[in-house]
Amino acid sequence: MNSRKRNPRRVAVVAAGIVSPLGFGLTETLQSLRRARDSVTPVTAFPVDKTRCKTAAQIDDERLLNKARRSRRDRRLHRASHMVIAALAELLEAAPEFPPEIAIVGTTSGGMSFGEKFYRTLGNGNGCSAALIANYPPQKQIVDAMEKFGINVPAEVIANACASGTNAIGHAFNAIRAGRYLRILAGGYDALSELVFVGFDSLQAATPEKCRPFDSNRSGMVLGEGAALFALEELESARSRGAEILGEIIGYGISTDNHHLTQPNPDGSGPRRAMEQALAQAGLAPNQVGYINAHGTATILNDSAEGKAIMELFGDVPVSSTKSMMGHSLGAAGAIEAVVTVLALQHQFLPPNINFRESDLPLNVVANEARDAQFDCAVSNSFGFGGTNATIVFRKFAR
Amino acid sequence: MSLSIAGMSWVTPLGSNVDGVWQRLLSGETAPIDILENEQNGARYLVHRVPANTPFPAHPRLRRASAVSRFAAAAGLAALAQAERAPSLDRVAVVFAISNGGVIYTRRFYSEIVTSGAQAASPLLFPETVFNAPASHLAAILGINGASYTVVGDGAVGILALKVAEDLLASDDLDLCLVVGAEEIDPLVCEAYRQWRFLRNQNKPTGRGMIVSEGAGAVLLERCDEGSGSSATTIEQIVPGRNFFRRSEAAAQLAAVVGRLENGIGFGVGSANATFIDGAERAAVGDALPLYSPKIALGESVGASVLWQLIVAAQALKTGTLPGTLNLPASSRAFVLACGLNQQTGGLTLQLSKAA
Repeated sequence: MNSRKRNPRRVAVVAAGIVSPLGFGLTETLQSLRRARDSVTPVTAFPVDKTRCKTAAQIDDERLLNKARRSRRDRRLHRASHMVIAALAELLEAAPEFPPEIAIVGTTSGGMSFGEKFYRTLGNGNGCSAALIANYPPQKQIVDAMEKFGINVPAEVIANACASGTNAIGHAFNAIRAGRYLRILAGGYDALSELVFVGFDSLQAATPEKCRPFDSNRSGMVLGEGAALFALEELESARSRGAEILGEIIGYGISTDNHHLTQPNPDGSGPRRAMEQALAQAGLAPNQVGYINAHGTATILNDSAEGKAIMELFGDVPVSSTKSMMGHSLGAAGAIEAVVTVLALQHQFLPPNINFRESDLPLNVVANEARDAQFDCAVSNSFGFGGTNATIVFRKFAR
Repeated sequence: MSLSIAGMSWVTPLGSNVDGVWQRLLSGETAPIDILENEQNGARYLVHRVPANTPFPAHPRLRRASAVSRFAAAAGLAALAQAERAPSLDRVAVVFAISNGGVIYTRRFYSEIVTSGAQAASPLLFPETVFNAPASHLAAILGINGASYTVVGDGAVGILALKVAEDLLASDDLDLCLVVGAEEIDPLVCEAYRQWRFLRNQNKPTGRGMIVSEGAGAVLLERCDEGSGSSATTIEQIVPGRNFFRRSEAAAQLAAVVGRLENGIGFGVGSANATFIDGAERAAVGDALPLYSPKIALGESVGASVLWQLIVAAQALKTGTLPGTLNLPASSRAFVLACGLNQQTGGLTLQLSKAA
């Protein structure tokens, strides 16, 4: 987006919070990424005896809900709310002086499992708790989390399928860049639910095997869950208050692929347009990018379309899909992977693409082990149902 | 940033022609009431439905699409067709407001899981359950391949979608933004509202409680400096409000929104739907200002409702009339106020341009 202002503002990431199957918080996440940890386990949240797939990357409820058990109000909240609370707690611990003007977040299903419970309860002929209904809607989880920490700002909740988190961060970036806000809380969240799990199972987009992005024997995605948030701030504002700066967002691209509701155009034109836009806004040539955190769902169609676009645009820039370790967390994925990309830039390493053997695409895949590397800029991709494609470009912050 | 309304359209239970529905609202008509039955528990709900003879666009993308997508396509296409000059589609964005989404297919899909087992769940239904499916269909029908955002929330979500559009139009990369709000009716949603004690009792059609409705509203927006000379109305200010954590706080949050809207307002178009929102809005606005809610005639369409309110306010400014108000003060400025059932608030001001 070319801002109508002559001097677009620079946008800093001043804090982050994350909870994913790879761990609670930035430190655990970093350790898991470096160790190439596979967090996929058998599904326990709902019956999977009649589905092809039996596994997902899940967040440990014992840890997630431990604190919530002490409060009657918190006990009523959805798991997704607790994920956002955990991410926001970490963010605010690092940046207690961060009063956002607005929250822009992504999700695909909010408190979906409460909706499922409501439906099942109705079928049993029983009355239902109003708390289930009130806590189900997809905007509720971010509002719950903000309320927990005394924050009350409007919440724009973007539901652009699997690109939601990236779209939320990208839109927030553009809004600050255009001078419309100084500080935005941006990110995404989604919790595993039976409806969505069965949905991807029915489409045979999910795999009963290992998740192998970009591998020639890839057979589909494994679902995940989690939440991640960024505190985004106009750079000069952040500098003037002496905030620690984790990185910069310098480009964002968004495109819509009208080929099919659930399948990308095989020519990769949709992802390519998003990546080209993001690079153009960042003012970068493709060879200035040192790492690509790919959407990489490990479905046949996504990886071939995305891989084609990456090959054509970037050549042999190192690529990995961290979904291989932590599954596809849908509306949270873009936000979680954005945090992963910032960690990679900060700590100068390439997160691994595990379960990888060989590729049918001539990509420079970061196979199975993390690698140390020196690079200044990195890209994170997210694509989704509805043909939505989104790309963000990050830059290591040079003081 | 001021935004000019370059086109607007709706699909409502009172029809799909903007002027036609407006005349019916002025004459005091309310949408016909249907009864919707819930096969799961036998409950019956009062609803306002879009007339069965409403024409919808024919397009392969809509063959299997849920009703919400057809409503959205009809309203969106009609609004875009009003653009003064043929838009360059790579410079048009779509922003979609929705609350319950493709709930008909969502319920059917989950029902298959519950009744027949996961192995019986149809892969044809699942993609239509995704919130951004209607926006995707609309973009495909229109040939828009740039930015498309689906914004979810409660009855105030339309304000947030309009704010997203305003932020998008801050970029020189875009000329136009098509904002569409849409919703469809399903017994599952009605039952949720009933158990939440917001729904009107089917035995008391004139009593308290809201009536759920369906349809879509669409507005085509451009920056005022794009020089659309014939545009009658502009959105001067969009104010997404803070959240109310308890219903008792709704009036205060709405008052904060009203306080941020500009002065010189002649009347308001609110979101009263025969629930707690009525009192909260009146308390926020005070008794002096004429305040009309189209939800009394058209029902609660949640994701579509703010777009309907916006169109009503634009029509009221244009005609100098407001349904149910005999002596409307002469004014070129009005506000739209939105309060959802689940914590969100917001508002905007609308101005009739001098040229009009």
